[in-house]
Amino acid sequence: MSLRVIIADDSRVMRQIVVRTLRQAGYGDWEVLEAGTGAEALEMALAQQPDLVLTDWNMPEMTGIDLLRRLTASGVDIPLGFVTSEGSPQMRELAEAEGALFLIAKPFTPEVFRDTIDPFLA
Amino acid sequence: MSTTTPDDVLLVAQDLFAAMVDGEPGTLERWPGPPADLADPVNAWVDAGGAQGVRTVLATDRTTAVALARSLLALGPDEPVEAADIRDVLGELVNVVSGNLKGMTPGTGLLGLPVVVLGPPAVDGALLRESHLRWRGSRLVISTWNLGTRGTTR
Repeated sequence: MSLRVIIADDSRVMRQIVVRTLRQAGYGDWEVLEAGTGAEALEMALAQQPDLVLTDWNMPEMTGIDLLRRLTASGVDIPLGFVTSEGSPQMRELAEAEGALFLIAKPFTPEVFRDTIDPFLA
Repeated sequence: MSTTTPDDVLLVAQDLFAAMVDGEPGTLERWPGPPADLADPVNAWVDAGGAQGVRTVLATDRTTAVALARSLLALGPDEPVEAADIRDVLGELVNVVSGNLKGMTPGTGLLGLPVVVLGPPAVDGALLRESHLRWRGSRLVISTWNLGTRGTTR
């Protein structure tokens, strides 16, 4: 299944690693759009209506959780998952409570991506 | 975060390097000799919990920082490494280390954004832990500092 995904992270190297990991996880045919801030990701998501948003949590201008809240408030139904450096139970609970599909903690492997994302593609 | 140990730091860093830097385990280990100052240092840090919180610092020398940037960005040997690349890569590495250490100690507050300085750090606080590591023959130092006790630098 080919999807269109937005990867939001203020780190260029992390966006590159996420793209590489998606490819290694078997999602090499996905169309990838990149955003460097939460605000940029919000604008891009509303305009492009992607199938999935993968976002960092801690970013300048707009955090990932605020991005999720803004998407929810705008009434669009765009699935969103976090790829972030902190995967504490509190963060996971907050992400789930706000409607996130999942939270992948860095560092990650292609296997983690596949095991986490595949169930939502079924 | 003061309850984390040098073993926690090593395990977190080893997981990070195995998954995202080298793609294989076994490239990062404890530094086998005595600690020594870094020549031409590069320092990256992230604060957790704001001004009274804990700072995690990743330090290495400029040559190793360039090698890390080249590895993570998958650059060829002849491709240039810009200062922005070093800032991005070192900042992201310390961000992941800090986030993982913070996750082991609930209640340490929000994680800040990474700061990278191509030079010595300006840390005003008490040293909590310092781990000297070896990556492909080069030295990396990961330290944590209590910012709530300013004026007590080592």
